[in-house]
Amino acid sequence: MSAVPNGASEDGAGTNGAAPIQVKAGRHREASLYSALHGAGAGDGRTLTQLREAALKVYEEAELPVWRRSGFWSTSLASLDIDALETSVSETGVPDVVSRTLPDGPRAGRIVQSAGAVVQVELDEALAERGVILCSLEQAFELHGELVSEWFSKRLLIDRHKLEAANAAFWTGGVFLYVPYGVVVEEPFEIVYAIDRPGVAQYGRTLVLGGPTSDFRVHEYDLAEDFEGQALHANAFELYLQDGARCRLAQFQDWGSGEVYDVSTRFVGVGRDAYCHWLPALLGGHLVRQHLELAVMEKGGDMAFRGLFFAEEHEHLDVFAVDLHETGPSGGDVHWRGTATGESRASFEGLIQIDPGAQQTHTYLQIHSMMLSPKARIDAIPSVLVSADDVSASHGGTVGELDETAIFYMQTRGLDRPAAVRVIVEGFFEPLVAELQDEALEQLVRGRVQQKLAAAREDIEAYATSR
Amino acid sequence: MADLEIKDLHVRIDEREILRGVDLEINRGEIHALMGPNGSGKSTLANTLLGHPSYEITEGSITFKGEDITESEPHDRAKAGLFLAFQYPVSIPGVSVANFLRMAINAKRDEPIQVKEFRTQLQHAIDLLDVDRAFTSRHLNDGFSGGEKKRAEILQMAMLQPDVAILDETDSGLDIDALRTVAEGVQRLHDEQGLGALIITHYQRILHYVKPEFVHILMDGKIVLEGGVELVERLEREGYDQIRQEFGGQPELAA
Repeated sequence: MSAVPNGASEDGAGTNGAAPIQVKAGRHREASLYSALHGAGAGDGRTLTQLREAALKVYEEAELPVWRRSGFWSTSLASLDIDALETSVSETGVPDVVSRTLPDGPRAGRIVQSAGAVVQVELDEALAERGVILCSLEQAFELHGELVSEWFSKRLLIDRHKLEAANAAFWTGGVFLYVPYGVVVEEPFEIVYAIDRPGVAQYGRTLVLGGPTSDFRVHEYDLAEDFEGQALHANAFELYLQDGARCRLAQFQDWGSGEVYDVSTRFVGVGRDAYCHWLPALLGGHLVRQHLELAVMEKGGDMAFRGLFFAEEHEHLDVFAVDLHETGPSGGDVHWRGTATGESRASFEGLIQIDPGAQQTHTYLQIHSMMLSPKARIDAIPSVLVSADDVSASHGGTVGELDETAIFYMQTRGLDRPAAVRVIVEGFFEPLVAELQDEALEQLVRGRVQQKLAAAREDIEAYATSR
Repeated sequence: MADLEIKDLHVRIDEREILRGVDLEINRGEIHALMGPNGSGKSTLANTLLGHPSYEITEGSITFKGEDITESEPHDRAKAGLFLAFQYPVSIPGVSVANFLRMAINAKRDEPIQVKEFRTQLQHAIDLLDVDRAFTSRHLNDGFSGGEKKRAEILQMAMLQPDVAILDETDSGLDIDALRTVAEGVQRLHDEQGLGALIITHYQRILHYVKPEFVHILMDGKIVLEGGVELVERLEREGYDQIRQEFGGQPELAA
């Protein structure tokens, strides 16, 4: 593996037979396409109805977005026929893909939204008695209006693009999880967004609150049946941890083989002396654009921001991950790994942003990518915006290929080539998978990675012989 | 017919001929030493025997247990009972020694090995190689010292129980304690399991701990001298240069 020099990704133009996109070397290097949310959200005292009305206005005026980075990269929703989609709120039951995918282990609770409706809610009774709340966000507005309004859209916006506005205007169902002061829960709360058929626009909306010194896990699953046709998932997720709270947040995303568009914004705010370990596993979707922002909002906050992705076939993945420090002292540690097969495209932009006055912040960003296919491409773009002087912030990363020496080594032990490739790729992801610290979820991720490798077997061979 | 028969083997890499007609026969239960100066083609022979794709065989053949394996895939050679202990073992991050061993053992079998049987075998190998039990939960060769890497090679060999193992400069870079452990491990696998071995080495050190019955001297891509253990002593006295003069090697090919 070769080290990536400061700030530079591999040259934008494919050198391995990919459809040539002519870019002058270095031209894109400083091109940061996205910016952090950074600052107050839309929930500034307006009522839910007022927010929906304001968002609707934006929705009606805006075109479907195209994000373009200096010509060599663009994420375009032009092919999405949004008017043909509908937000169904009829309760159709829990889709098969949910029971097929989710581990059947012990859990603190589970909430499932299918299309536009919440179709299952269960919560451990003992936890309910201790004040834990798990219900649809719609219901939470009715039953816990004061608490919800205080935090709803505290940092999320409604007007940056048409789908963000659509989410704010049209969301139904939704998820509200509240873990009160001092409550410690070992088992995970499971949040599921599922799409069971084409033609659906799903506007997911999640609000999670961790009260002071609470300690809990959240596992989100984003799943779809394998179908033909378009569907949309536009999600707005926010999680706030109050003083001394701790949360392990994992996300298993696999939208199946349908033409599912996922354009989502997720914000995690870490309060005083609080800690969050966040690990999204992005394992499939026709077009996925994720704005993932993990912010230390108060002194002493600490975070571990992990993530892995595996794009295949013609998938398009666009991740913007922000490690934001609004005050210090604070800590951060960002570590992402990704690979791509087929003719997929993946872009990972990682931003460390340290605000003025966030002194004594120490953070590190590393991105590792592994090339597996002649026509797939991964762009890794780290950037650092520092506005304080008593801090440390750095980044590093590697761009690797399959190591033929390692393959030969394993072959001499009796493993055939595909098995050796599997060992290398699993080993590449393993440091992150092991951090899930949940055997069932780990197996789910490993299994999905194996499936993707098996599906891309010929492609991976073609890469080996083309070098 | 010998278990491993190498006949008139010519091998090229990057248009350069490295082996220029090597003949060698090795049976189960025999320990051979292959010695030669740097650049004589020792590692080329080792890699070629296991089917490394970068080495092109232009003439000759390799037969193992009666089957012509000249064109076989590396993993098929391994399954047939050949093993290569690498001069520079490759690190495999994210995979523990134990898990890797289980995969390798299962690759040779129809039914996966039972947990209990695996544990027993692993414990035996651990005792043999004088390693810590925790060693097997570390990622294979990842961050290992030179000595640990070589021990891990012999540990794999003990678990996979090949008929013939090629040890490519397993002794290089080892301190005397590690060298002794590794060499004694090989000797015991020979004594207990009837392992046949081709010990490739530049030096004579390892041959103080493991006793070859046959010694071959490779120079400039050819075996120029063969004999018993007395050849090792002669080398120690005279060095490669003397032998080269005697057998008319081509010094310009030596690195």
